[in-house]
Amino acid sequence: MKIVVFAIILSAMTTPLAAQWVDYPTPGIPRTADGKPNLSAPVPRTADGKPDLSGIWQRISLKYERNIAADLKPGEIQPWAQTLVRQRAEDLQKDHMSVQCLPWGPSYSNSARRAKIVQTPGLLLMLDEDLTYRQIFLDGRTLETEPNPSWMGYSVGRWEGDTLVVDSFGFNDRTWLDRDGHPHSEALRMTERYRRLDFAHMQIEITLNDPKVYGRPWTVSLSAELNPDTELLESVCNESHHSLEHWVGKASDEKKFEVMVAPEILAKYAGTYEELDYWGNRPHPAIIEITVSDGALFAELKGREKVPLVAQSETNFSGFYGLGISFVADAQGVVTHLLERRISRDYRFRRTTR
Amino acid sequence: MKRWFILAALVIIIAVLSSSLSAQWPLHPAPGVPKGPDGKPDLKAPAPRTADGKPDLSGIWIRFDDPEPNGPPPGRPPLVRGGDAGVGFKDGLPFQPWAAELQKKRAAENGLNDPDGLCLPQGPLQYHIDPQPFKIIQTPRQILYISESNYGLRTIYTDGRSLPPQGDVQPYWNGYSIGKWDGDTLVVESNNFHGVDPSNVRGVGLPDSFLGIGWLDHRGSPYTEAMKLTERFRRVNFGLLDIELTVDDPKAYTKPFTVRVAQRIVADGSEMIEFICHENQTFLKLTGRAPH
Repeated sequence: MKIVVFAIILSAMTTPLAAQWVDYPTPGIPRTADGKPNLSAPVPRTADGKPDLSGIWQRISLKYERNIAADLKPGEIQPWAQTLVRQRAEDLQKDHMSVQCLPWGPSYSNSARRAKIVQTPGLLLMLDEDLTYRQIFLDGRTLETEPNPSWMGYSVGRWEGDTLVVDSFGFNDRTWLDRDGHPHSEALRMTERYRRLDFAHMQIEITLNDPKVYGRPWTVSLSAELNPDTELLESVCNESHHSLEHWVGKASDEKKFEVMVAPEILAKYAGTYEELDYWGNRPHPAIIEITVSDGALFAELKGREKVPLVAQSETNFSGFYGLGISFVADAQGVVTHLLERRISRDYRFRRTTR
Repeated sequence: MKRWFILAALVIIIAVLSSSLSAQWPLHPAPGVPKGPDGKPDLKAPAPRTADGKPDLSGIWIRFDDPEPNGPPPGRPPLVRGGDAGVGFKDGLPFQPWAAELQKKRAAENGLNDPDGLCLPQGPLQYHIDPQPFKIIQTPRQILYISESNYGLRTIYTDGRSLPPQGDVQPYWNGYSIGKWDGDTLVVESNNFHGVDPSNVRGVGLPDSFLGIGWLDHRGSPYTEAMKLTERFRRVNFGLLDIELTVDDPKAYTKPFTVRVAQRIVADGSEMIEFICHENQTFLKLTGRAPH
C-alpha cells in the first residue's frame, strides 16, 4: 500500500538526523560574538576572487521535488510520459532510484538532499550522502557533443559574474526527474545556476531542456542552506534490502479499504495544525491545513500540493505522506491534535484554529 | 558449486572492466604535467607541491602491480599482492583464532560475501588494491579520496582536528580519517570503522549484507570496529605513490602489522569512468541475493 512506500523513504531519511556525526566546529568560518556561525556574513571568495561555494548544503525543494513539471501544462508533456507517470504512481514508485540503490542522476540537483560542495580551481565536486560523486569541470573545457551516456552526465561550469552556470549533457535515460516519476530522454540538457547570496544561503535555478519529452524548456527554482559545524553523513542504500519485502500492492488498493465517514464528523477535523515534534528537513514548524470540500477531506502540508485523504476508519486517513493522518479528540470530543503517522513514530501537530 | 561462483565472478569482473575500457571520456591532460625530451610525461620528475610547500598528492592513481621485481628494499614492509594482505609474511597475518577461522571460511567461499560483489563499500585496503583507479583531491583543510569502485568516498581532515575517540561517533564504512604531515609524508590515521563483531561472527540477526563488513583484503582477512588504521602516503616522484598501511586491531590480530601498496599516476588526461555497481546485479542474482 502507498502508506508503506512513503514510510520507508522517510524512515530512511530520518536516520542521518538521529545519528549525528562528531560535533566539530568547521574551522575558518565567520562567527558572531557568541561563537555561533554568522549565517549572514558575506560570501567567502577564492584566491581568484570568485565566490567559494564550498560547504555542506541542504537543498530545500518543496514544490518541485515531487513534481518537477508542476508549472507545465498537460499539453506540454508527451502523452506517453504522462501515462508513464500514472503507471509509476500506481506501482507505488518502487522503481525510483532510491529504492533500487541507483544514483539519482539529474534529480539530485532538484531534490531536498544534502550535498557537500568542494570547489578547487579547475574542478568542483558535489558529494552526496549515498557516497555518489559528481564532477563539474571548471578548467575551461567545453561540453562534449556526443558523450557516452552516464548516470551523472558530463558537466562543465563557468562564471557569469558571481553566478556559477553549470551545463550538463550525456545523462542516460534510466533516472526519473522527480519523485512522481517524470521521465527524461538521453537528449536532456540541464543548466543549473548557483548564486550564493550570503554565507549560509544559496539560490538555485535549474533549466531542463528535453524536446523528446517536453514541449518547451522550463526553469524551476529552489534554495539551499549551509549546514555549518557538521559533516556529510554516510548512507549506504545496500545495507539492507528488507524494505522491498514489504513493498507490495498498488496505489489503488487503499481505495478498496475506504470507509464512508459522515460529513458532520469530517467537519470536526477542519482547521490548521502546527507541528510539535520537529522532523525532517522541511521548515519548522510545519503546518498542515485540513479542509472539507464536497464531502471529502483534504490535507495540505504548507508549501506542497493539497492531497485528498482516504478514510480507513472514522479517525484514520491515508493518502497523506507517510502512513497517513489520525485525529485525536479530548474527553469532550473536541479535536485537539492530529498525528502524522510514519514508520519511525507518530509526529504530533497541535490544532491552532477551528 | 565453487567453480560456478568463480566463473560468475569472473564473467562479471570482465564485463565491468571491458565496459569501462571501451567507454572512455575524451582526454583532457592536466596542465603542469612535467614532460621529458620525448614529449611524454616525465614520471621520474619531482613530486609537485602545493602553495604551502607540501607535496601535492592530487591526481588519478591506479594500482602498480610490480614496482619492485627484485623484492622490497631492505627494511621496507612487504607489498600486498593478489588481493592477499599477508602474502609477504612468512607466517601470514597474526590472526586471533576466531579471525583465522573466519578468514578461512571466507576464502573457502571464494569471496561470496566480498563487499565488492555485494555492491557495498569495500574495506580501506581493498580500495587501494582494486584494479579500478582512485582520485585524490588535495585542498588545504581536507583531502578527498574518491575511488571509481563503489562508494569509495573518503574525507581526510587536515585542519588540525584530532581523531574522535573510538566509539564516540557511529561506525562508518569508510571510517573517520585525519591527516598530518610528517616531513613529506602524509600520515593518515583512521578509526570508527564498521567491523566484524567477534561475538557474532556469522551476523546472526543482521541483514545478509553485514557479512560483507570488515574485509581487509580479498582473502577475507577480517577487522573489527576496534581497528586503528595508519596510512603513510608518500609521493616518491611525479609518477609513483607509495602507501604504507599499519593495521592495529587487537581484537582481530595478536599484534599490529604493516603492509605496502604502490600506485602509479594516470597522466594521459583520462578520467575515472562512472561505475555503478547496482546497474548490473547479475552477481547478486546468480547468488540468490538480488533485492527482487
